[in-house]
Amino acid sequence: MKKTALMFFPAFDWSLGETHPEREERLLYTQEQLFEEGVMDLPQIVQLNPTVAPLQAVCRAQALFPGPEAHDLEAHRIAAGSALVMGDAWAKKEIHNGFALVRPPGHHAGAVVRGNRGFCTLNNEAILINHLRSRYGYQRIAVIDTDVHHGDGTQNIFYHDPQVLFISLHQDGRTLYPGSGFAEEKGGPNAWGQTLNIPLPPGTGDEGYHYILENWVLPRVQAFQPQVIINSAGQDNHYSDPLARMNVTARGYGKITELLQPHIAVLEGGYSIESALPYVNLAILLALAGEDYSQVREPKGPQRAPVQFEAFKRYYQELRSQEEKAKANWTKRRVASLLDQEWVSDAYSVYYDTEGFQEARQEYIRPCAHCGGTVVIMSKLPPDETVSTLIRIPFQACDPCAQTGLELWQLLTEKSGAKHGSEAVLLQNQNSDEILLWQRAKGVTRF
Amino acid sequence: MALRIGIDVGGTFTDAVLVDNGVIAAATKVSTPADVNTLLPTVLEALEALRVTDITQVEQITVSTTLMTNAILQNRLTKSELYLIPGYGMKLDALPWPVPYQAFKGQLDFRGREVEALDPADIEQQARRLTREGSLPCAAIVGKFSHRNNAQELTFDQILRKNAPGIQTTLGHRWGGANFYRRALTAYLNMAGQELFAAFASELTRAIREKGYEAPVYVLKADGGVLPLEEVRPVDTIYSGPAASVLGALALAEETADSYLVIDVGGTTTDMGLVLGQVPLLSAKGAKIGGFLTQIRSLAVRSLPLGGDSVVELRRGAVEIQPYREGTPYCLGGPKLTPTDAMCYLQIIDFGDPKKAEEALMEQLRADGGAAAEAEARGLAQDILKAMTKKILAAMTDLEKEWREEPAYKIWQVLHPQRREQFPIWLSGGPAPGLVRELSEQSRRAVKISRQAGFANAAGAALARPAFSRTLHMDTVVGRYRIEETGEQGAWQGSKRARGEAERLIEEIMRKETIKRELEPDDWQKDEFDYFPVVDGYRMAGQIVRGSWSMPSGIIGRVKR
Repeated sequence: MKKTALMFFPAFDWSLGETHPEREERLLYTQEQLFEEGVMDLPQIVQLNPTVAPLQAVCRAQALFPGPEAHDLEAHRIAAGSALVMGDAWAKKEIHNGFALVRPPGHHAGAVVRGNRGFCTLNNEAILINHLRSRYGYQRIAVIDTDVHHGDGTQNIFYHDPQVLFISLHQDGRTLYPGSGFAEEKGGPNAWGQTLNIPLPPGTGDEGYHYILENWVLPRVQAFQPQVIINSAGQDNHYSDPLARMNVTARGYGKITELLQPHIAVLEGGYSIESALPYVNLAILLALAGEDYSQVREPKGPQRAPVQFEAFKRYYQELRSQEEKAKANWTKRRVASLLDQEWVSDAYSVYYDTEGFQEARQEYIRPCAHCGGTVVIMSKLPPDETVSTLIRIPFQACDPCAQTGLELWQLLTEKSGAKHGSEAVLLQNQNSDEILLWQRAKGVTRF
Repeated sequence: MALRIGIDVGGTFTDAVLVDNGVIAAATKVSTPADVNTLLPTVLEALEALRVTDITQVEQITVSTTLMTNAILQNRLTKSELYLIPGYGMKLDALPWPVPYQAFKGQLDFRGREVEALDPADIEQQARRLTREGSLPCAAIVGKFSHRNNAQELTFDQILRKNAPGIQTTLGHRWGGANFYRRALTAYLNMAGQELFAAFASELTRAIREKGYEAPVYVLKADGGVLPLEEVRPVDTIYSGPAASVLGALALAEETADSYLVIDVGGTTTDMGLVLGQVPLLSAKGAKIGGFLTQIRSLAVRSLPLGGDSVVELRRGAVEIQPYREGTPYCLGGPKLTPTDAMCYLQIIDFGDPKKAEEALMEQLRADGGAAAEAEARGLAQDILKAMTKKILAAMTDLEKEWREEPAYKIWQVLHPQRREQFPIWLSGGPAPGLVRELSEQSRRAVKISRQAGFANAAGAALARPAFSRTLHMDTVVGRYRIEETGEQGAWQGSKRARGEAERLIEEIMRKETIKRELEPDDWQKDEFDYFPVVDGYRMAGQIVRGSWSMPSGIIGRVKR
């Protein structure tokens, strides 16, 4: 029998504040609904138990500056650890698929972490994906983010990674947090086209959503031939969501799951905790377990009609051609301070809404035709000029990229660390699975 | 403490003990006949055999009976209707229903708020059909989320009774835990077992009174607690055998023993349980019996169809222990080779005829086409004990795993996992002495055995105390509270933020029960309550409170050496 795992970790003793959307109550009614329906008694359902994600697994995907100890990680590490437990069960073929129904969420947490943003500190999916790659050697992973908000953190982590196909469907960033995820964002110089953003108009509804999946997302996933399919299963497309307006039903979510056939679905956002979550979670779990979800119905139906389908199709055509037309536009330049090699560079800022501050990042990517290319991200919190730096040597790195990364690590930690004002440097050597953190005060920690 | 009597009806023997101030004053064993109709005479025979001189001094008689367990497993229950109010959600047939049901209109949500009303005409029509057919059956009525609000079940019941006078009903909300499917099957079993149990209870009481006993008659439940025969819900008495084993170990164990595994080896079955800090561990899930998943609270136990009388066969040199018995062991005059014969041959037990045991072993060796000399017989006997021990240890590992891997829903729980402890083993039961060495070698743990190993279950029944817990679920916004174990529900008119008040409510409910059972409140185990802020818009509207206090199962006094 094909087993479907449920990892239910509602973190009943954790919140970001008594009335914060990310509060103890969030999965309370989901628990009531799932337990009352008796889903745990379905013969194909197995329940898994959470654990704390090791810092090594965390730092293999994300750089927490100035160091992990500076962040409040307890709940986040358990949510990430839950995803890891499920990943292991899947990789060992103990389960066919599974749903990590955990909080807190993670998809807004990016390659560098300076604090909590969009309720996320650790990126559960990214930590899971890099764990699966390093432990089991997978090299083609697809992540489909169906949260109504753009999965900007996940995109940020894998933007330069040709082994990961990242697809995000979300309500148009012009009308919703975090304001990114446009069709032109298609990946970095060594991974162009490995990111697909599908911003959708408010009111898309079940029909429109399924249409996009069938006509655009699924063919793209199929062409990539992923070994692992992960779904970032946010639930705020539901018609009762207080912030978004996508008009999807619980049964619509069941169908989304059935179409995507993810190996592992991980809960993301969704804060309509009474009107949506109990029903959406039930529908997703039933769909994964191969059970009929057609009788899952919310007590109150949608208040608004979805956009007209013909108009939606025109929007889709336009968006698609816009995406196809978007061309890579990168310039290489020699950077004296980075071993005087050629790099593609990019500067951007990241806003941490939970605590309300801005991070400035300078990113350097080593252009490479053979691997994902070594990536350097320098992070500052203006007006403070102190820099923390992430050096990432990608999985299956070519020798020159690996060499460059290691030389940079030497350079930044030993010789010019103090001179350049670096506070911390993380070496994320995914290639040899060596995770080292240098901190000015403490020296080197090996994870 | 005056005299207490415990009677344990097992698969092979029915044991009875008379405990006089912590000393086993009398003990007796009679065979349990296969015919269930002789259950009552057997209990009375065992009682008689105790030869109690001053029956007025007996303050309590406790029976642990296989009546309900066997009736369910052998499909000898009264037919009952099963009426469901499922509403929308997972399809009903996603789960296997071992009995037919009928679904009716009506729906509640997860906070017990009505989404769709009942259709009285539907129910009336059903009632008229029952009346017309001339049968007045019994019915279990179970609604999804009835544990949050019993209103639809109560209304359904009222309409049904009015239109089919005389019908007997059981309502699902009385088993107040979440799980519609299990509540339905539990209510069904309870209803279907009512007639059988009531007949047994009244006959037993009558017979005991006729013999002059005035002591109240108690019955042991799956959760290790006891209740007066007339108060117990029939279905809650399943699996009292394994519960008696665990309590028996508690009664006979040394006072210093704190946490240990209990393994009780009988003739037909081997039962095991876990005692943690002198309290038997309760299972996180309801018991499973036959094809029924239930909401019945039970101790975390394992019951293996493996015992001293199990039939042993040798096939191509491999020992196979069958999950059944065919009478007594060969060395006691029975027809087949059994583990008891192996023990007898190896002279590690002091009963049975070693000559006959040897005969049985030799015969198996020859039948398997092998050499049949003393060395082979000895080897076979040792292999039998090894095979038996291996099976026991596998179940034991599984039981410990269940405990360690209980789902964690809180950060605190994940950060404080259960200890990976090697619990010592407390062994009891007739064939127990024969397994001590093998068990300690294979498990590499300390194995202790009781001197009165053969009467552990009956002693456990005799000394079992009433055990109960009260789990509160309160929704101060909706304004209702519910008690999971009893199905009690009521309006909550206290504060929206009920910290303190909720504890006082449960304390009051616990106190009443404690006084009724003549126990001391000092023994309460008080778990911390959870308070979930319920937010409406951006304001806190109230709380959902969950918490549980309990009087854990255990024993009154202890058997002295």
